[in-house]
Amino acid sequence: MDNRSFVQRFIAKPEFGPLVLLILEIAIFWSINPDFLSPLNISNTLAFTVELGLIALAMTLLMTSGEFDLSVGSVFGLSAVVMWTVFNTGLAPLPVAFLIAIGLAMLIGFVNGWFVTRLAIPSFLVTLGMLLIARGSALYITDGFPQRTWNAEDQWLAQVLVGEFYVGGFRVYMSLLWFVLFAFLAHYVLTQTKAGNWIQASGGNPNAARARGVNVRRTKVLLFMTSSAMAAFAGIISSIRTSAANPNSGTSYELEVIAMVVIGGTVLTGGRGTIIGTVIGIFILRIMRNGIVMVGVPGLAYNIFIGAIILAMMALHSWLERRHNAGT
Amino acid sequence: MIQELVRMQNINKYYGRIHALRDVSLTVNTHEVVGLLGDNGAGKSTLIKVLSGAVPMTSGQIYVKGKEVQMKSTTDAIANGIETIYQDSALVPQLSIARNLFLGREPVKGARLFNRLDHDAMNEVARTLLKRVGITKDIPPTTPIGALSGGERQAVAIARAMHFESNLIILDEPTNNLGVAETQGVLRFVREVRDTGHSCIFIAHNIHHVFQVVDRIVVMRGGKIVADNIDPKKSTIEEVERVITGEHLIEALGLDHG
Ligand SMILES: Nc1ncnc2c1ncn2[C@@H]1O[C@H](COP(=O)(O)OP(=O)(O)OP(=O)(O)O)[C@@H](O)[C@H]1O
Ligand SMILES: [Mg+2]
Repeated sequence: MDNRSFVQRFIAKPEFGPLVLLILEIAIFWSINPDFLSPLNISNTLAFTVELGLIALAMTLLMTSGEFDLSVGSVFGLSAVVMWTVFNTGLAPLPVAFLIAIGLAMLIGFVNGWFVTRLAIPSFLVTLGMLLIARGSALYITDGFPQRTWNAEDQWLAQVLVGEFYVGGFRVYMSLLWFVLFAFLAHYVLTQTKAGNWIQASGGNPNAARARGVNVRRTKVLLFMTSSAMAAFAGIISSIRTSAANPNSGTSYELEVIAMVVIGGTVLTGGRGTIIGTVIGIFILRIMRNGIVMVGVPGLAYNIFIGAIILAMMALHSWLERRHNAGT
Repeated sequence: MIQELVRMQNINKYYGRIHALRDVSLTVNTHEVVGLLGDNGAGKSTLIKVLSGAVPMTSGQIYVKGKEVQMKSTTDAIANGIETIYQDSALVPQLSIARNLFLGREPVKGARLFNRLDHDAMNEVARTLLKRVGITKDIPPTTPIGALSGGERQAVAIARAMHFESNLIILDEPTNNLGVAETQGVLRFVREVRDTGHSCIFIAHNIHHVFQVVDRIVVMRGGKIVADNIDPKKSTIEEVERVITGEHLIEALGLDHG
């Protein structure tokens, strides 16, 4: 087992397939349109990427524990609406409004986790219900109209979250730094800590984990809360960047985020997850969205490509899995 | 030196209307391997499930080292030093050998906030433990459980029970579905378990296996214990077989026309 070469072990890793796909994708788009790798296009792509990416990081941990969260897209929209409504009506200064929005999201995550772990209702149903409640609340609060956010300019919080700066010719948003920070943190937690061991065990064999004294319920509830909080954080960042808190924003993000995670090699049924894979999956989908427009494919065809990538990647992962099992 | 470790007293268990355990009392002493025999449906698995907290008993008491305990869950049993080993259900297939060994009791290093796993210590202990339970093949401790054979998985589970000083290790038909070499491996762990000062309840249908490793044989039939002190050194396999099927009673009553 140890005497396999480095290359063989590298190829057997779940992240290998997605990585090859990502490199292929970049090479193809770049060869058709060299502007694809221009500083402007890269920085634009990155700005969109991190908002969904932040949610995907938290979703990876949640899915490794054997659950998933369909309400993230709605929480994405609701949180920004709540923060700006509280601020615009003069109820509280922006940092307090920010904390209220994140706190509300964590409460939503707690309720999701409580229903899933205490009442043993599948997370599909619980978070589907929460998706409707959160989206409905956002629409109700705003009467369906976007909240104005243009007075965000002179707020330090807005600068910390999405302020922009230049590195050489690149315009970089602060949100990219947040994404990098959270990606490292999530990877570290999952692979190097006791919490990571518990997350994987909760998804892999909850009964065995419970018998060893692992608090499976608390682990899952905390992950649901993290997932919601991250969705809120991303929604707020997005609202500041686009100067709009639209009650409809984030619609169907949940599916795109779950697609990113599974493309990267995390399994839907839990037990095994990879943050590196998720980061690759995030880029595969966002670059696809940006690239097909740049090479002249109508943007409306985007979903065809995404669907094909998901099916191809699932086939690859299942083939690797079977080959792995056969080899032992 | 020999003391009472676990005592089950007047245990009754109903599954709905099925009376699976009828007033069962059984004591296991320290440093003792007890072989639990009985035909299909005799109640062996039910008895050890009650003892390991997997199913609740209808009535009765369980004492560990003389103190009455409540076994509400497998966690309670493990906390009382009673560990049950199933073929694989007690391990997480996706996690490595080392991570499984320390699941729930992970050694950590560095700042408390991060609870960083001490991988070096975990792998080191795992390597020594694997040798102790007789896995001589060089299996790295980072191998996922899913890549091990049934016998190797049980070896890992037994290694874990030994490392965390379980007093009583229960094996329910551990040699089912195992090859000849793996079966010998499991029988070797059972001896190793006793030699390191633990007790063991060993359930198997193959009486030859039971005769090879146990100190005392207990026989169940129809939810009752019908013999609880057969010495394998002083009895023959045929005699024990007759107790299991109940033929010895028929003979004693003179009803045997065969
Ligand atoms: N979950 C259950 N629900 C209802 N009846 C059960 C259940 N589990 C066991 N029984 C019944 O209890 C009795 C004892 O079963 P048990 O599994 O303890 O037998 P056993 O001695 O382990 O048999 P085997 O050697 O076949 O494993 C049987 O009559 C069985 O049908
Ligand atoms: Mg049984």
